[in-house]
Amino acid sequence: MTELGVNVPSLIAYLINFLILLGILSVFAYKPLVRLMDQRAERIRESLEAADQARQEAASSREAVEEALNEARQQGQRLLDQTREAAERYRAEEMERARQEADAFVLRARADIQRERDAAIEEVRSNFGELAITAAERVIGRTLDPRAHEDLIAQVLEEGADLRRN
Amino acid sequence: MPASAGAKRLLMAAGVGLLVLLVVGFVFGAIGSKMFGIGDGFLSKPEIHLPPQPIFPASTRDYHLGLAESSDKSHETKPAEGGHETTDSKEAHHSKPLGLTKFAVTNTLLSSWVATIVIIIFFVAGAGKKSLIPGRFQALVETLLETAINFCESVVGREIGRKVFPVVATIFFFVLFNAWLALFPFYQFAGFVQDGELKAHLLRSAGTDLNMPLALALISFAFVEYWGFRAHGFGYLKKFFALGNLFRLRPSGLIDVFVGFLELISEFVRVVSFTFRLFGNMTAGEILVVMITFLVPFVAAEFVFGLELLVGLIQAIIFAALTLVFLSVAVSHEEH
Repeated sequence: MTELGVNVPSLIAYLINFLILLGILSVFAYKPLVRLMDQRAERIRESLEAADQARQEAASSREAVEEALNEARQQGQRLLDQTREAAERYRAEEMERARQEADAFVLRARADIQRERDAAIEEVRSNFGELAITAAERVIGRTLDPRAHEDLIAQVLEEGADLRRN
Repeated sequence: MPASAGAKRLLMAAGVGLLVLLVVGFVFGAIGSKMFGIGDGFLSKPEIHLPPQPIFPASTRDYHLGLAESSDKSHETKPAEGGHETTDSKEAHHSKPLGLTKFAVTNTLLSSWVATIVIIIFFVAGAGKKSLIPGRFQALVETLLETAINFCESVVGREIGRKVFPVVATIFFFVLFNAWLALFPFYQFAGFVQDGELKAHLLRSAGTDLNMPLALALISFAFVEYWGFRAHGFGYLKKFFALGNLFRLRPSGLIDVFVGFLELISEFVRVVSFTFRLFGNMTAGEILVVMITFLVPFVAAEFVFGLELLVGLIQAIIFAALTLVFLSVAVSHEEH
């Protein structure tokens, strides 16, 4: 044994040496470093989770924005449709009214014309008797008794009016 | 490509230089000098001591290394230099081992202290800043620890791995640093010289002192048994004294007892195998370095140094890993 160098004090010295080394390393290196590495792992995991969450939030908010945009677009479309419809309706109404007005106008105009014509005819008729008598006086060279021939004249005029009316 | 060409030329020059050094080393080394009759060779014949040499206190050193005596008996050492050693002078050359109980600081113990201090500096410096974003050195130390932790966890599981890794890692780094630090040249030349002879190195790889592997083996043993008891309570002893079937008078009880006895023996044999594995490897490495340097003083030893780097690493891994494996066996719940 001694030839190999076994020596009890040395052995004990090595044992103590190792235990001291173990103690110092545990307290000053292993524990703080392991805690540090665990902290770092925790931190990295948290950051990754936070990043994930942020990404999800971004995605969801983008979705929301998209949705809002769609909503707005649809609403705009709807408004536009409504407006177009209203315009259409308005135009139709206006046209209808204009046509009615025009019709009314035409009717009135026609009525006016009729009345004017009637008046004119009346006037012509009233004048025509005298004119005819005057013309007849000239033709026959004498005065006719208007009273005596009034019936005849009226008859002629009636015929003329009938004739014209047809 | 001028830079590449320059580098190539430099490499060639270095290669040629190394080759010339190797040849010169061979010629002036022990082999060449005998072959060509030049003389005694570049280096004096190395001595191999299995026991470590005491260096402090000085009186113990002088007594055990024969430093004081050899100046008186210088005439006796003369013939040794001529190559004709008598048994007397041979004994005078050899240092006396320290004996079983006498205390002295040996060169191996001193170098283990050096290694301890280097390890502490390395790790405490690495853990010094404790910044969440590590610098390069901290990252290196952390990587080492992380590897050790992962290894422990992969063998004995996460919970126990976390608890046992300090001891396993310390064993690993202690063996590794002791082996690698011993490759520094001052381990080879710093020492106590008398009559132009290096009587004892100041520092010597701690692995070459049987006490150091023995101490580590005992710690490994105690550690494993402690965890065995911690995992199984006193039921841990059932593995070694499997008397259950014997009390029930079954014939298989005899086999159980025998197997238990083998288990018990193997627990203690582990201490011996741990001790001599590390001691043998470290000692062989040192002897190899010394002998190669003696035979071919230049260049040739570099290959041995490369080998020794590998051996140191492997031995450190083996010591730590075997401790871990034995621990996992002791902790595991196997029903026989």
